[in-house]
Amino acid sequence: MQEDRSLIRARSLARRYTMGKEAVMALNGVDLDIQRGEFVALVGPSGSGKSTLLNLIGGLDRPSSGEIWVEDLELGQASDKRLVRYRRDRIGFIFQSFNLLPTRSAVENVEVPLMLAGQNRKARRERALDLLGRVGLGKRAGHKPSELSGGEMQRVAIARSLANSPALLLADEPTGNLDSKTGKDILNMLGELLRTQGLTMVLVTHDMNVASHADRVVHLLDGKIQRIETAAERNGYRAETATAEAIR
Amino acid sequence: MTLGDMISTALSNLGRRKVRTILTSIGVIVGILTIVTMVSLGIGVRIEINKQFAQIGLERVFVSPREGERNFFTQFAAPERTNPILPEDVERWRQLPNVREVVADVDLPLGVASALKIGAQTQQIAISGEDSVLGQTPFSTPPTALAGTIDVPDESGKIVLTAGALEDLDINPDQFAGLVGQPVEIVLQAPRGETQTFSFTVVGVSSEEIPTARVPLADRAAMKGWWFNRPDILATDGYDSVTIRATTIAAANELVPQIRNEGFRVQSLELILDLADQVFTVINVMLSSVGGLALLVASLGIVNTMIMSIYERTREIGTLKAIGASRGDIRLMFMIEAGMIGLMGGVIGIISGWGLGLLLNRVILWYIEREQLPVRGDFFVVTPTLALVSLLFATLIGVIAGLYPANRAARLDPLVALRHE
Ligand SMILES: Nc1ncnc2c1ncn2[C@@H]1O[C@H](COP(=O)(O)OP(=O)(O)O)[C@@H](O)[C@H]1O
Ligand SMILES: [Mg+2]
Repeated sequence: MQEDRSLIRARSLARRYTMGKEAVMALNGVDLDIQRGEFVALVGPSGSGKSTLLNLIGGLDRPSSGEIWVEDLELGQASDKRLVRYRRDRIGFIFQSFNLLPTRSAVENVEVPLMLAGQNRKARRERALDLLGRVGLGKRAGHKPSELSGGEMQRVAIARSLANSPALLLADEPTGNLDSKTGKDILNMLGELLRTQGLTMVLVTHDMNVASHADRVVHLLDGKIQRIETAAERNGYRAETATAEAIR
Repeated sequence: MTLGDMISTALSNLGRRKVRTILTSIGVIVGILTIVTMVSLGIGVRIEINKQFAQIGLERVFVSPREGERNFFTQFAAPERTNPILPEDVERWRQLPNVREVVADVDLPLGVASALKIGAQTQQIAISGEDSVLGQTPFSTPPTALAGTIDVPDESGKIVLTAGALEDLDINPDQFAGLVGQPVEIVLQAPRGETQTFSFTVVGVSSEEIPTARVPLADRAAMKGWWFNRPDILATDGYDSVTIRATTIAAANELVPQIRNEGFRVQSLELILDLADQVFTVINVMLSSVGGLALLVASLGIVNTMIMSIYERTREIGTLKAIGASRGDIRLMFMIEAGMIGLMGGVIGIISGWGLGLLLNRVILWYIEREQLPVRGDFFVVTPTLALVSLLFATLIGVIAGLYPANRAARLDPLVALRHE
């Protein structure tokens, strides 16, 4: 019965920020279901609430009203302790600015989530090296972040996000700080990982080229879902625009 | 997160800003150094004093008679004794179990004008008996015999003179040996003008500098009897002091209340030592407070450094929290970091305090050597307890100083922290 249900279920999800007297509705009644194994892109103009939605799914923030379920856990009501464990064991975060620990080598950065989970040194070193190998950085394990390129740093961050074998990857503009060529490589790698590992991923971007890799694209505007496109619809749409452009 | 990981994380974070870490721990170093040096001095001196007292013999009990108050007008008169120590008391104590030896003594009053007469020459001189253990001050070397014997015989009419007394009479050390067996006279002069001459035979010369004539108890009693005009003074006024040597220290401690109950004034070295211990404790606490003040300042430095380093690492803290570090993890991590600063300062402080003690000890010994004082020994002693307690204390200071910054770090909102530039 559980299996039929979606992995993520957002119901009338709202998040209000108050800045002094003014209140900003960063999210304003979002209903969204995301299935296991799905790759969903959140798109929309700056300030439309993409990051806010992602942070709510990731348990980094709590809704002002509404519910956000991930499997059998309602994140809004969960205790701080449960949220910490949820973030550590079930989520992999990938940030725009990589957020690697600057004094730690690549392999040590990948080890951090395993260390937080209390795994012993030997086991976590083995796992971290394996993960670095999988993102193609086996030879760079001992390098500090400052000795790596942007693309390499993001690969380390991806390896780190996978360390505790999460079910769900959350990425906020993961290619935002990379050139388009490197960004494409990173996206291809993520897509490969999703397919082979059966992971679910929610990715925030404002780049339609990036979103085009996703199964579904959720368009946000002013804290509301404007429309949701499936890959099939979008391909048609893309074909149309391509023809239109070709005619012009 | 395991404790081992916490500690290695803290160490690597401290290693990032080595200079700052070291500068911060200097406050702790100074504080601990002060405390360790001061307390080790206290311990060292106490051990030294204990040793000296033990040489004198802690199993000795000193008894003196109870007497009425003396004032300026009565100080030259015979003391009004409410409970004199009579020869029969001494005899009774001798019979007690656990008593090894009882030595009774008579002192001449301070005002007695006494002179030593050898041939035609006369010299002011102090009269005393065998050097009593009480008169033997700690940190002094026992005198040696320059001629004859310096043990005052029990037999009356014998006298031991000190080198100091003879030097004042212009008698050279090479003449000392010839003096043994010779007759000398001691002349007492009462304030009323009368004089009385006592004849003695020299039995030896001691190395002491202070001009003194040592005469047997019977002669001193006779002198005192003449002075106060009480021929049988022992039977009426009794002895001035009695030293009872018990078989053990425990036995001595039992004798104290027992004899006190008989109405005498009783002291034991043990009691004096207890008092000295209390004084030393007070002095130690006072001196350590100086170090404590340094530690207080040091802890403020640690608070400052921790707040600064948490500010610098805000983004990292945000990242750690986002990927699954709990408040407790973050709090403990920073408290360990602060504790490490304390621990490090403690280790260096103890080592340098110990080193400073060694250095100062050398200086003191060199001074003692130069002044030819009869003392040797270590005046700075760092005991394992002192080292351990200082170490714990230093660490505790760090941990306490880390409490507030660590809590601030733990409470950081991950999203706010991640946005921090
Ligand atoms: N911590 C905050 N305090 C106040 N306003 C915020 C905060 N976070 C986001 N907002 C506001 O909420 C809206 C949505 O923000 P965000 O989700 O970051 O947008 P996006 O990621 O789509 O650019 C914006 O108007 C933003 O200014
Ligand atoms: Mg955003």
